Amino acid sequence: MFFWFIATAVTTIACAALYYAAARRTVNASVPDSAVSNSHFRLVLAGIDADQAAGKLGEAEAIAAKAELARELLRQDAELKKPHSAGPDMGRGALLACIAAVAVISLGLYAWLGNPDMPAQPLAERPEIAAQALDLDAAVARIEAQLAANPDDLRGWTVIAPVYLQSGRFADAQNAWRRVLELGGANADVQTKLAEALMLGNGGDATGEAMQLLTAAAASDPTHVMSRLYIAAELTRTQRYDEAVAAWNAALALSQGGEPWLQAAQQGLAVAQNQGEPATNAAETEMIAQMVSGLADRLAADGGTITEWTQLVRAYLVLGDKDKAQAAFDSAVEAYPKSFDRDDLDAIALEAGLKLNGAAQ
Amino acid sequence: MSIELGHFALILAFAIASVSVLGGYAFWRSGERIALFLAQGAVLQFVLVAVAFAALIQAFVVSDFSLALAVNNSHSLKPLIFKISGVWGNHEGSMVLWILILVAFGAMVASFGRRLPSDLLALVLTTQSLLVAAFAGFTLFTSNPFARMVPAPLEGNDLNPVLQDIGLAIHPPLLYAGYVGFSICFSFAIAALISGRIDQAWARWVRPWTMLSWTFLTLGIAMGSYWAYYELGWGGWWFWDPVENASFMPWLAGTALLHSALVMEKRNALKIWTIFLAIITFSLSLLGTFLVRSGILTSVHTFASDPTRGLVILSLLALVIGGAFLLFAMRASSLRSGGLFAPVSREGALVLNNLFLATATGAVLVGTLYPLVLDALVGTTISVGAPFFDLTFGALMAPLLLVLPFGPLLAWKRADVVAAAQRLLFAAALAIFLTILISALGGVSISLAPIGLLLGFWVAFGSVAELIDRSKLGRIPLADSWRRLVGLPRTIWSTAIAHFGVGVTVLGIVATTAWETELVTTLNPGETTELSGYVLTFDSFEQVPGANFIAEQGHFTITAPGGGTRPMVAERRTYVASGMPTTEAAIETYGLSQLYLQLGEPLENTHVVRVWHKPYITLIWLGAILMAGAGVLSLTDRRRRVGAPQRAAKPIAEPAE
Repeated sequence: MFFWFIATAVTTIACAALYYAAARRTVNASVPDSAVSNSHFRLVLAGIDADQAAGKLGEAEAIAAKAELARELLRQDAELKKPHSAGPDMGRGALLACIAAVAVISLGLYAWLGNPDMPAQPLAERPEIAAQALDLDAAVARIEAQLAANPDDLRGWTVIAPVYLQSGRFADAQNAWRRVLELGGANADVQTKLAEALMLGNGGDATGEAMQLLTAAAASDPTHVMSRLYIAAELTRTQRYDEAVAAWNAALALSQGGEPWLQAAQQGLAVAQNQGEPATNAAETEMIAQMVSGLADRLAADGGTITEWTQLVRAYLVLGDKDKAQAAFDSAVEAYPKSFDRDDLDAIALEAGLKLNGAAQ
Repeated sequence: MSIELGHFALILAFAIASVSVLGGYAFWRSGERIALFLAQGAVLQFVLVAVAFAALIQAFVVSDFSLALAVNNSHSLKPLIFKISGVWGNHEGSMVLWILILVAFGAMVASFGRRLPSDLLALVLTTQSLLVAAFAGFTLFTSNPFARMVPAPLEGNDLNPVLQDIGLAIHPPLLYAGYVGFSICFSFAIAALISGRIDQAWARWVRPWTMLSWTFLTLGIAMGSYWAYYELGWGGWWFWDPVENASFMPWLAGTALLHSALVMEKRNALKIWTIFLAIITFSLSLLGTFLVRSGILTSVHTFASDPTRGLVILSLLALVIGGAFLLFAMRASSLRSGGLFAPVSREGALVLNNLFLATATGAVLVGTLYPLVLDALVGTTISVGAPFFDLTFGALMAPLLLVLPFGPLLAWKRADVVAAAQRLLFAAALAIFLTILISALGGVSISLAPIGLLLGFWVAFGSVAELIDRSKLGRIPLADSWRRLVGLPRTIWSTAIAHFGVGVTVLGIVATTAWETELVTTLNPGETTELSGYVLTFDSFEQVPGANFIAEQGHFTITAPGGGTRPMVAERRTYVASGMPTTEAAIETYGLSQLYLQLGEPLENTHVVRVWHKPYITLIWLGAILMAGAGVLSLTDRRRRVGAPQRAAKPIAEPAE
């Protein structure tokens, strides 16, 4: 509401300014300002004399220029004497209509486009920033004091457990999650969290109690993903690949598609299927080699962009063929002699130990 | 609430502009009332857009991330100056800056133009309001800078690191002042066409505006060129990039306009051509501003591209430019031309200048648009690169530069070319002597370089020939010569300085192009390399935190051929918010030459270092500054000053005039 008050006031001031500027004149008629143009003609005349004095205008030419000027002056006088073909007069009514239109357009358009009720939110005054400024240690100490007074506060333990985990206090985190388990009953999420705290406290090893908790969590909830992922990871870590494949598949079966863990799970499955070796593909290498030789032939025959040359040099370097890489680099430098045009190519080549103009040396 | 008030102010300015257009075109003939209404409206538009712009700056400064524009282009850690310049480092904000300059020029006409005939003033302000309404409407409806974001994020996405530079605070405002200033000439041209009245007083009004805009545009382009030179890390100062061409075309056309308006003001000739040039120049400015926003081009200047926006832009361009040319076609024949002159005369020389500049503009336009049109129609992608432009543009400029020194020495209406040539003999002899001397000493092979040098020296010396001639240097006592020199009218001085600046720029271009040397090598701290007599020692490599980036600095020590050492620090920055890297080249100026050093990405066990020696490169920008300075000098001439009261009786009082 306050905004609309100000907006209306601003509009009123603007409209009043327009009105008084235009309505101030009582005589609303065109005054041919011949004085202005006459002073202009006098100036041009003086300019002609000055040019003549400076040798910039011949004597005959100066007379011609003055004649031209006189004709122009006569023509303008004649024009001014002609009856003035005034257009429609801008009366007070038209003026008021214009001013009303300004007010209607501006207020209406703003009502459509604007957000009158939305306050400014400078960063320094934002409540989130004030909250961030609160000391984390002080907050933890306050919750701890509350929990000491009231050890059955389920919410307090739930809040503080992840904070312990984040600050590396794994034993405290385990204790907190245990309290949550006791107070809130067994639940797949809490069991997994406790297992997570145990694993982290144990350098990633999930044998013993952690594994039991994870198995229990997976058994109690057939759609629980987190526990299944940890189980699969643990089986892969302990090189029980056949069981791991089954576990990864069980986790992947729960995927709806697009989850953040999906790629990691697929990689894990591939590792387990390949008995712990990272996947390689001979056919792929073959294909790359073919593409590279195709590119090399084309560049040698027709030339190409610097990006293509860079690709070729990089490909030879990846394939470990340094001589061919040097040859390709030399050809590229020949095709693009200015280092300005070569972009990243120089950095890539020099890093790999190739030489600029290697052939020449 | 300040953001919403800014939004409202912009809308109110749009409303006033829209109503001014309707009222102005309906009532321009009817007297003073409408002119006063429009003048008041123009001042109000300026105040309101300034408020809107201030609201945006305020939101950026306090990092108000409820403003979508601030989220997309700011960051709370950014230094204050880049928070402010970030307002126009994007499409929406730069539109507001564009409109702000447009209304500022409108308000200036309204304030200084009280002596103009009321119908002419009304038409000029109406046309100016039409432009404001069109571009404010475009901004509000397709790219509103005041759009809010709910919920407001706690941090912004930061500005493109390349733009986080003092250049962004200077280059766009100057360039826009140049582009937009030509809108005044455009509005005057439209007013002349509609009213059917065009006389020398008209030219007297248009010329200062042309001069002012041209000065800004010259500085804007020079600044942009130097910025690209030091920031993009390649040491290139002109790329014939479509965006650069887009700013260069209005400059070429504006230069032509400047000279043809001179003929019109002094001799009442070339009237229709001047009007045509005024329309062309502003049309090219519009093309320049909007080609880069339509999404057709990709470059550092391309902000968010969006097909709807592009379509609206093209329609606006078609409407404004097409409308203006339609009006020109309908009304030009009813305007009287006047002022007779012989082919060999000052007028003739200026026509020649216009012909070459217009042709050069056309060549650049073809080279810029042809690939785009071909791509759109046939789908074939071709690239028209530097070789095309160097050849065509160079071929067109060479004859222009050759005849340039003659122009100011010729008399109006009919001139004696032999007499002018005699006065230039000394300049020609000096230019030839210096060129031969430099070529002999430098061991220049047969190439275009000596020809370029010759042209540069010829223009530079030829330009001051008139000063020397007028001061009778060597023919009368030195003190008298000095008095005559100081007493010369400022217009003569500004002509000489501007033309001298052209020569200086040509010399810089030729020297850099012909004698630049470069070196690409790998270096480790402690190692040394050498280029053109400069010995570079790589002292150390270290990481240094900046305000909102982390810098990797390479410290070098340079020993110049003439002795003496200087430190140089080249940087690579990685910006925290965006993770984007930039290179900050180290540049050290030795006299008029520069050493340019760029540090490549650090490799596993070494660093790639690129070094260029650029002889006399600073002349390129010094020349531009001389040209702009000449523009300012000409504007201070009392007789040309906008709205200045005319001196009554004795304008012939200057000695030697």
